[in-house]
Amino acid sequence: MARQIISIFLIIFCFKTNAQNFVGKEGIITFFSEAPIENIQAVNKKVGAVYNASTSELVFSVKIEDFIFPKKLMQEHFNENYLESDIYPKSTFIGNVVELKENGYAKVKGKLNIHGVTNSITAEGILNINKSNVVIKAKFSLKLEDYNIDIPKIVIYNIAEVIDVDVEIQLDKYEG
Amino acid sequence: MKAKSLFFLFLFLSFKVVAQENLLSLLNEKNETEYTSYIFKGTKIVNGQSVEITSKNELKFNIQHRFGPINSGFYNLYGLDYAQVRFSFDYGVNNWMAIGIGRSSVSKTLDGNIKIKLIRQAKGIKNFPLTVVVNSASYLNQYTVEDRKKSSFLFTDQLIYSHQILIARKVNRDFSVQVSPTFIHYNLIDNSSRQSNDNISIGIGCRYKLSNRVSVNAETFPQVYNSMNDNVLSLGFDIETGGHVFQLHLSNSPAMIEPIFITETVSNFFNGNIYFGFNISRVFTIKN
Repeated sequence: MARQIISIFLIIFCFKTNAQNFVGKEGIITFFSEAPIENIQAVNKKVGAVYNASTSELVFSVKIEDFIFPKKLMQEHFNENYLESDIYPKSTFIGNVVELKENGYAKVKGKLNIHGVTNSITAEGILNINKSNVVIKAKFSLKLEDYNIDIPKIVIYNIAEVIDVDVEIQLDKYEG
Repeated sequence: MKAKSLFFLFLFLSFKVVAQENLLSLLNEKNETEYTSYIFKGTKIVNGQSVEITSKNELKFNIQHRFGPINSGFYNLYGLDYAQVRFSFDYGVNNWMAIGIGRSSVSKTLDGNIKIKLIRQAKGIKNFPLTVVVNSASYLNQYTVEDRKKSSFLFTDQLIYSHQILIARKVNRDFSVQVSPTFIHYNLIDNSSRQSNDNISIGIGCRYKLSNRVSVNAETFPQVYNSMNDNVLSLGFDIETGGHVFQLHLSNSPAMIEPIFITETVSNFFNGNIYFGFNISRVFTIKN
């Protein structure tokens, strides 16, 4: 009996998730660091995300090496010294949309993993659900020390302690 | 009853976790090649070229300094009274080619080089254990004005060439090793000095990261053909300070160009004939 219940549950669950998933792999994340000596901006155009419309689950996955900096030396330092992308190649967000209004205003809560450190975060933005796609836009801030990212004193005026993050992605209905 | 409902609760919870992990698995790209980057911090290990090339559209200005021998005593402030300098520019033409020009003060030598990346260390679909770069350089060892007025003077007599195959592997995140077979040709040699026209050396270099910002490098170029002088042995520290890489060196050759430090080193490292030096470089992005 129990086995039957579980299998039915599993089958229903499978159908449910498959039918409601929206997937995007070409999202854009930009981050800004405003500091007295220089402003740093980097962009990643290969951001992946999945939104499950029935369960309101939302996940993001970002490859750290895909962040492009205007200066290659900055990119090297970002990967080698600060984010250590050889040890922590990806950053992930696993969360839920906890509030969604008709005008598209959305509140997302979940766990963000960067540099091997996981923190609970909340972000506000826009989530528009259309027939065949979902468009997500959000802005939030991160504190570097929350993610165990050390900035040496000598470059403290070059790198901001709080980083502004800008997310923009379109998710298409996932078939199969 | 309580146990049963708890069981279902956990069952449900586990589904939820699985579901979210499944969501992430929808993003996993299976067919990827991961290239190994940052095998060395700089485009040189100590004196010799590393497999790193200047990034695309970046112009790097280097100022290299070498002081006199450390064992020259307090009278010469342990060599700091002397200095020779080399200025150079390196430019990244594209992702796999860089060119450079330079001038060394002591031998009045102008040089130009081209570095081409042939293959990169990678794993994934493309799997290759090594990064291979070729480096070709020409040197114009300028004669004095008087020498050039002589009837026997030929422009080509001033030329020296060096060709290298640089083969490197990043063994792990801290340790990288490089083998650099090098061929050096002098168009004209001075019969009275210890030189030969053709020289072959198998260079060996490595770096070890002490921390994210400091690495220690070592390098030697044993000569395997027509060896007439000592082999160069160099130790270096790369220290990163934000926008710059600051390199400090100890070597038994004060020269900064391949033909001279590989084939014309006359002092022995272990007798204390060591020269202290440093490099500073500044990078300019020409266009985005």
